[in-house]
Amino acid sequence: MSAFLTYLLNGLAVGSAIALIASGLVVIHRVTGVVNFAQGTFAVVAGLCTSSLLGLGVPHGVSEVAAVLAAALAGLLTGLAAVGRPGTSPLSSLIVTLGVGVLAYAVEIVLWGDQPRSAPGLAGSVTLAGARIQTQHLLVIGVAAAAFALLALFFGRTYLGKALTACASNPYAARVVGIDVRRMGLLAFALGGLLGGIAGVLVTPLRPISFDTDVTLIVNGFAAAVFGALTRPVVTLAGALLLGVAETMAAGYGYGAHQLEVALGLMLVVMIVQAGRRPAISQESA
Amino acid sequence: MIDVQDLVVSYGTATALEHVTLTVGKGEMVALLGPNGAGKSTLANTLAGLIRPASGTVRVGGRLALIPEGRQLFPDLTVADNLALGGWRSGQRDPSPVYELLPRLAELASRRAGVLSGGEQQMVAFGRAMMSRPDALVVDELSLGLAPAVTADLAAHLAELNRTQGLTVLLIEQNARLAFELCRRAYVLESGRVVTGGDSAELAGDPRVASAYLGGAIT
Amino acid sequence: MTRRLGLAAGLLVAAVTLALPAVLDDSALAVYILLGLAAMVTVGVSLLMGYAGQVSLGQGAFYAIGAYTAALLALNGAPPLLGLVAAPVAAALSALLIGVPLLRLRGHHLAFATLAMQLILLSLAGQLDFTGGDIGLQGIPQFSVGAFEASSASVYAYLTWAGLALVMLITHNVITSRPGRALRALATSEIAAASAGIPVGRYKLVVFALSATFAGLAGGIYCFYTGYVAPGSFPVLISIQYIVMAVVGGLGTIWGAVAGAAAITLLVQGLDRLASLPGMPSYAPSVLSYAVYALVLIVVVLFMPHGLVPAVSRRLSRRRAEVPYR
Repeated sequence: MSAFLTYLLNGLAVGSAIALIASGLVVIHRVTGVVNFAQGTFAVVAGLCTSSLLGLGVPHGVSEVAAVLAAALAGLLTGLAAVGRPGTSPLSSLIVTLGVGVLAYAVEIVLWGDQPRSAPGLAGSVTLAGARIQTQHLLVIGVAAAAFALLALFFGRTYLGKALTACASNPYAARVVGIDVRRMGLLAFALGGLLGGIAGVLVTPLRPISFDTDVTLIVNGFAAAVFGALTRPVVTLAGALLLGVAETMAAGYGYGAHQLEVALGLMLVVMIVQAGRRPAISQESA
Repeated sequence: MIDVQDLVVSYGTATALEHVTLTVGKGEMVALLGPNGAGKSTLANTLAGLIRPASGTVRVGGRLALIPEGRQLFPDLTVADNLALGGWRSGQRDPSPVYELLPRLAELASRRAGVLSGGEQQMVAFGRAMMSRPDALVVDELSLGLAPAVTADLAAHLAELNRTQGLTVLLIEQNARLAFELCRRAYVLESGRVVTGGDSAELAGDPRVASAYLGGAIT
Repeated sequence: MTRRLGLAAGLLVAAVTLALPAVLDDSALAVYILLGLAAMVTVGVSLLMGYAGQVSLGQGAFYAIGAYTAALLALNGAPPLLGLVAAPVAAALSALLIGVPLLRLRGHHLAFATLAMQLILLSLAGQLDFTGGDIGLQGIPQFSVGAFEASSASVYAYLTWAGLALVMLITHNVITSRPGRALRALATSEIAAASAGIPVGRYKLVVFALSATFAGLAGGIYCFYTGYVAPGSFPVLISIQYIVMAVVGGLGTIWGAVAGAAAITLLVQGLDRLASLPGMPSYAPSVLSYAVYALVLIVVVLFMPHGLVPAVSRRLSRRRAEVPYR
C-alpha cells in the first residue's frame, strides 16, 4: 500500500513536470496555431544553465531564475524564426521549430558537451501516510500547481491575457481592434519558453539532462497536450498527471523498460480516437 | 475625414480594387453600395489598415474603427471582454460609456459572445468599435442577416451618434433602401471600380441603380 | 529543344553515375553508396510531402524495418536475394498496417504519430532478443546471387544506384499517371480533392506504403553493405535528415530529391573532413552536422519554400530566356 502511494506521488511529480512542458505547447498552439517541436529544448536549456550556474557558485534561487529567463529568451528566438515572417504556414512553422531544436543541439554541445548533467535540488525526503517522497518531488508538484494557477489568472483576468486569448479565438478580429497578432505570437513563444524552463529547472535534480533529452520531453508533453486537443489547459493537466502516474506505476511494478511505449501508445490511441470524432474541415482550417 | 485617391489593391495577380477614388467629409454619413464580390470588404479592410494597397493613397484624419462583415467577435470571450479589447488602441478599458449608449449590452455583459443572437452580436460589434473612441466608423454590412426591426434599431443609434457627436460614417451596404435612407450621399462599387456616385435621391432615381439595387432588394 | 537538352543531361548523369564506382576509392565509395541510399528514401519522402501533403518524422522506421528484415533472413540462412526482396515488402506491409489508423491524422498530429512509431520501434528493437537488443545484429553475410558474391564496395554502389534508378522510374510513372495528377490536388486541399471524387484515403495510403517501400529497399541494401544493424543506426535525426534533403530539393520533384540528398550528404561529408582536422575539438563533427541540418532546413523553409533546386533552376532559366512565367 505504501509502495503504491509512493509511486502515486512520484508519478504526480513526473506528471507535473510533463504538464509544465505541455502547458507551454498549449499556450503557443492556442495563440499561433503552431505546434512547437522545440518545447523540450527550452527545458534542456534551462536545466543545463542551472547546472552550470550552480557549478560556478551562483546561489540557489538566482541560478534557477536566470536559467528560466534564458529559456524564455530561447522561446522568443524560436518564435522569431517560426512566426516572425508573415505568411509562414503552421506546418512550415513546425518544421522551422524542428530546425531550431536541432540547431540547439549544436549550441548545447559546444557549451556543455554531450554528457548528461545534473544539479543539486532540495535534499531529503518526507514521509506522508507511510510513503516516503523526495522533497524535490513535492517541490515539483507545488511549483506546477502554482504555475497553472497563475496561468489561469493571467489568461482569465488580465487584459494582456485576454488579448492573447483573443488572438487564438479570432485572429482577424484581433487585428481589427488593433492587436499586433505577430507580437502576441512572439509573447506566447516567450511564455512557452518560460514554462518549459521551469520544467527543466525542476527536473534536472531528479534525472540528469543532456542535449538530446528534449525528444523524450517533447513527446511526453505532446502526448499530454493531445488529451486537451492542444487547446485546453485543464484537460492537458489531467492528461499529464495520468501519463506521469501511468509511467511511474509501470516502472515501479517492473515494466520500467516499457515506460516510453506506454506514453507513446497512449498518445497514438488518444489522437486516433479524437481524429475519428472531428470532421476534416475543422482540422484543415486549424 | 476619409480621403481615398486612385486606390489599387490586388491579391497576388488578381486585382480587387481598380483606381478607386472616394471621400467622406467630417461628420458626413456616406453609403457605399455594390453586389457581392465588388470589393467592398477589401475597401473596408484597406481603410482599417489591414490590407496594404498596391498603389494610390488612403488618408484618414483621426481614429477610424471598423465593424467588420459578419461581426467577427471573439466568441470564447464575454461581451464585457469583447468590449474591453475594443479599447486596445484607445487604452479605454472601462465599457461603461458604451453601456450608456447601448444599455442592452450591460445586461449581456457576462454572456459569452459566441452564444448571442445575430442582432445582439452586431450590437456587441458596434459597441466594440465605439470603445476605440473613433472619429470615423466604417460599417461593413450592418443589416446582413438581421431582422428589419433590429437593423432599424442599430441604424437609429448610428444616425444619433452622427448627429450628436459628429461621428463620420461610411456605411457599406447591399441594402440600398437602408443606405439611401440614412445617407445623403452614396457611391456604387462594381467589379472593383466606382461606377457612379452622388446625391442619394438622384441615385435612387437613376433607373440603372434602381433596378439593380432597389428592385429586388431584400430589406 | 529543352527536351533534347534534358535527354542529353540525363545520359550524361547516367554515364557519370556508372563510371564513378570504377574510379572512386573505398572511402569515397562509402559516401557514394550512402548518398544513393539517402536519395532512395528521400524520393519517397518528397513524394509523400509533395503529393500527399503529409509530413513523416518516422521514415527512418521503415529504413530500419527493411534493414532488420533482410538481416534476420540472411542470418537465418535464407538467400540474401530473398532478404533484399523481402525488405521493401516488409516495409510496405508495415506501412499499410500502421497507415490505416495513422493516416486518419493530419498535419502535426501525423508528424508526431510517425515520430512516436519510430521511437516505439527503436525501443522494441533495443529490448527484444531476436533483434539482438542494443547491440543489434552482426555478421550479416555479404550480398550474393547464386555463386556471385558482392565482395567489393563498387558492387554495392552499382546495386544502390540500380535501386535508385528503379525507385525514380516507379515514382515517375506514379506522378505522370492519371491518379498521380489527382494526387497533386491532395497536397493542396483534401476536402477539394475528396469533393472532386478522388478516393483520398486510399491514395494517401498507397503513397505512404510506396514511400515506405523505397525506405525498406534502401535499408535492405544498407544492412548487407555494412554487415550489421543496431537501433543506434536509425536515430530520429535520420528521419529529420530525409526531410531536410526533400525540402532542399523541392517537394514532389524526383530529381530535386536526388539533388537534395546529394547536396546535403556531400556538404555534411565535407564538413566532417574539416571537423576531423587536427586541432578541432572532438565534438566538432556532430556539432557541424547538426548546425548544417538545422540552418539549411530553417533557411530553405522560410525563404525558398519551393526548394533550393527549383529556386536555382528557375533563376537560371529566367536569366537565359528572360521570359518569366507570368
